[in-house]
Amino acid sequence: MTAAGASWSPPIQAGRGSGRLGLLIRLVRRPEGAFGVAILAVFGVLAIAPELFVGPLQTAVTAPGTRLSPPSAAFPLGTDELRRDMLNLVVHGARVSMAIGLLATVVTVLIGAVVGIISGFLGGRVDAVLMRITDFFLVIPTFVLALILTPIIRDLVGSASREILGIRMTLIVIIIVIGITSWSSTARIIRSQTLSLKERAFVDRARVIGAGGGHIMRRHILPNVINLIVANAVLVFAGAVLTETTLSFVGLGDPFQPSWGQLLEAARSVGAPGLGAWWYFVPPGVSIVLVVFAFTLVGGALDDLLNPKRRGRA
Amino acid sequence: MSGDEGRMEGRVKGRPEGVHYGGAEGRAEADELLRVEGLEVHFPIRRGALDLLPGRQHGAVRAVDGIDLTIRRGEVLALVGESGSGKTTTGRVVVKLTAPTGGRVVFDGRDVTNLRDAAAMRDYRQRVQMIFQDPYETLNPKQSIGDFVAEPLDVNHLASSADDRRQRVLAALDAAGLRPAEDFARRYPHELSGGQRQRVVIAGVLVMGPELVVADEPVSMLDVSIRTELLRLMLDLRAERGLTYLFITHDLALAWVLADRIAVMYLGRIMEIGPAEGVIANPHNPYTRALVSVSPTTTPPAAGVRATRTILVGETPDAAHVPTGCRFHPRCPLAFDRCRAEEPPLFDVGGGQAAACWLAEGGRDLPILAGIPLPGVGVATPAAGDELAAGDEAAAQA
Amino acid sequence: MTAGVERPPRALPRLAVPGAPLLEVDDLRTHFTLAGDVVRAVDGVSFRLDAGEALGIAGESGCGKTTTALSLVRLLPANAKIVGGSIRLHGIDLATRSETAIRRYRWREISIVFQGAMNALNPVARVRDQIAEPIVERLGVDGRTARRRAGELLELVGIPRARGSAYPHELSGGMRQRAMIAMALACDPAIVIGDEPTTALDVMVQAQILDLLERLRERLGLSLILITHDLSVIAETCDRVLIMYAGRVAEEGPVAEVFTRPRHPYTQKLLNAFPNIQADRRTLDVIPGSPPDLRNPPPGCRFAPRCPMAMAVCSEIVPPEVAFGDRVRVACHLYPEGSSGEPIAVPAVAQVGQA
Repeated sequence: MTAAGASWSPPIQAGRGSGRLGLLIRLVRRPEGAFGVAILAVFGVLAIAPELFVGPLQTAVTAPGTRLSPPSAAFPLGTDELRRDMLNLVVHGARVSMAIGLLATVVTVLIGAVVGIISGFLGGRVDAVLMRITDFFLVIPTFVLALILTPIIRDLVGSASREILGIRMTLIVIIIVIGITSWSSTARIIRSQTLSLKERAFVDRARVIGAGGGHIMRRHILPNVINLIVANAVLVFAGAVLTETTLSFVGLGDPFQPSWGQLLEAARSVGAPGLGAWWYFVPPGVSIVLVVFAFTLVGGALDDLLNPKRRGRA
Repeated sequence: MSGDEGRMEGRVKGRPEGVHYGGAEGRAEADELLRVEGLEVHFPIRRGALDLLPGRQHGAVRAVDGIDLTIRRGEVLALVGESGSGKTTTGRVVVKLTAPTGGRVVFDGRDVTNLRDAAAMRDYRQRVQMIFQDPYETLNPKQSIGDFVAEPLDVNHLASSADDRRQRVLAALDAAGLRPAEDFARRYPHELSGGQRQRVVIAGVLVMGPELVVADEPVSMLDVSIRTELLRLMLDLRAERGLTYLFITHDLALAWVLADRIAVMYLGRIMEIGPAEGVIANPHNPYTRALVSVSPTTTPPAAGVRATRTILVGETPDAAHVPTGCRFHPRCPLAFDRCRAEEPPLFDVGGGQAAACWLAEGGRDLPILAGIPLPGVGVATPAAGDELAAGDEAAAQA
Repeated sequence: MTAGVERPPRALPRLAVPGAPLLEVDDLRTHFTLAGDVVRAVDGVSFRLDAGEALGIAGESGCGKTTTALSLVRLLPANAKIVGGSIRLHGIDLATRSETAIRRYRWREISIVFQGAMNALNPVARVRDQIAEPIVERLGVDGRTARRRAGELLELVGIPRARGSAYPHELSGGMRQRAMIAMALACDPAIVIGDEPTTALDVMVQAQILDLLERLRERLGLSLILITHDLSVIAETCDRVLIMYAGRVAEEGPVAEVFTRPRHPYTQKLLNAFPNIQADRRTLDVIPGSPPDLRNPPPGCRFAPRCPMAMAVCSEIVPPEVAFGDRVRVACHLYPEGSSGEPIAVPAVAQVGQA
């Protein structure tokens, strides 16, 4: 037995917490949201300006330490087999992992949202065809697809040493691959939301005044799925970091960029676990876990906050 | 908010001053703004993927099943019915949200049933608009009030400049009683009350300068005291701008207060139509009469005496299983053989009133029922399987 | 109306005070806490319900009628609390008792059909089982007996017993509302509260439901409290009416009196704001303004800002409730203690409709 809503609402509600900023504030008020945002903020800052904290990325030439030494006062996270400071590598790794994650997320969400909105709104045959394609990508195991696609895209894209906008080609390949393998669940989610939005009265009203499909999708559907897209993007980001890690770990990454996955792969090939050099793989591993965990916390909290039941009426 | 009544300079389209549009018969054809002939809206029922193949369907929901309707310039025609009557669907056809599957729609002398031409469609949309039922749903929460009201202008490229756009929006908000208009234009829906939101909806209608406004239960979700203000606004606008209303409602009493003419719908057809006073005071269709008898009244029954209410048994059958013959016959206290066999047309009963009932043939009045126990009349004792009975009966006769 | 019963008289609860009226609410105050503000939703409501009576509580949304109903069954939301007054059921004060103690009375002495209840049925449970559930839990009988009783209740409210095995979505709106009424009757209460029992129903179905309530009243000797904004529902079904405005009582009395000779200006305006197909007028009165913000209600009479008859004293002193000979109570300075009590007609501010 539940009590029916004997809620009382004030006659006129001031605009509080409805925009993006308001959402952020509400997010931070929740303990899990605050925690997640804090972690992401720390890693975000490290990713943006790693040089500020640990200096430039060390190479085999500029490496200061001794080979595979455990954590000490000089090197808090020990050194790798090329005598580089692990702390330096892990912090620079943040930039690579987060950058890949971000770009891959943009690609994923862009494709997923466009497909989801168009499919959901137009319905009929367009929807049927697009959804079958989506299902195809949804069903094939992400990793297997990534394994197959990476060499193919590499060939397509050409020489590994070229750069686009300062990003190396190898990373572009990873970004594209992650994008192709992840867009389908975003598409499904956005399509669901679009389907329900399509039936709402304000869409009817837009039709009655003569608005066409494009206008309705842009001005009425999109603004009302943006929040969902953001919540979904956060989780996609986490997945992208994980996928990049896995791809690097099996050797499909770029050995010259010290992403966390790359560091794990290096640790494995050097035999760090067997040598007891835990400082080689634990820091990057923990960083990955923390970042993914933080994204998941934030994504979950956003999901809760955007739950329609919370939408009050004036 | 709206206490003061600033009279706005409205655009009165070709209506002579001082002419009162009552519901009297004998109006000239030139007065006709909208005419609907044999309108049908059938939604096919499709189950399973195989049914996507053209031509395959398992019956249809006959939401609107052949209606003829005329709306005269400047009048308020109330389309009254319970849920499942088809009144909302009819309204949606008029504003072209739903396409008819049969029949014709004629607007201002031109057939507008299937408008292919984009310019013609734009013109139609400008002249025919809708006020929706739920003020909490009709406004996009992400859209400012100003943008909402301007949207018709934007979508149809009607504003000659940004300044023109602004002026027209402010004028519409002002006409809808939202003052100061500049202030309201900046706000968002969640900052407004239900009544204010509905005014915004009305402003969004006015900005196009329409002639015919379909109002679909415009006040049913509002509080009583807000209702009357909104209704007053709507009628004032009619006087100032020569608007014509198709007022869709389930509330017969409200229709009686507002409308010049009333059309009563049941299960997709018009049961009775005519001047409001006539339809209420002297109904010629048993359904209308039952509806009138149970319509809300704040006059308490005299001590010890029950009001003579005709409480029908069961509920309106679903539109996928329409009874044969007169569709009301399974619940009608006066049904006889002919009712089960043939569907009656609308018979003229004088005074501009018409009723679809075999008893009304030749303009006769309904027999008096008081004191005569008849099945389905008076205190309802829902017998076992009532709702099923209506459907079963129809199926048995199919 | 006398309660014609077809069963033996009900046993009183153990703690009942002999001779006490069925229900007596005295100066009830229920406040909400909303984002730090205190909303005085119910602020001094008193009334009495005798056995077999039907009382209607009327008012617009926000007047506190639903909160009053929920206070009676102690099913208020987490941010609401009864802060004052008493609710005496057979003399037992429900306002102060603990939650465990209340459970003994809830549903067994007083039950409620919630607003929008027909949409509150569990979609994955059969209707009969849902009705049987409170019987099992409250009366401690086994499942089979409970389901049999549920079948009886279904018949009582006009649903064929066989339909009990249906799921809610297979029933029409009217049937679902009947099912909710059956559920409210499950433990044979003395009082049933209906919160907007017919809103969202078609007018014909509404008539059927009201008719059902009427017949249940006669057959079971039920007492009813109907909460609604729709005065016509009260006119048809209730013996007495309580008009609430902004958390307080404006007027209370027999329906026949209050509806034909309304005194309080709000009662008059409210009555005239409803279309009445049986009366001769085809106009509706407009009540300008809107109900006050209950976080900061105006001092004195809460209706004063909107009242066409407001005097200086109205915005200073809360009008006391004064009783008149025809068993009507009014809280209005136009009808002070000792005055004749003759209704003073309130002029219409503006009207809408076919004049």
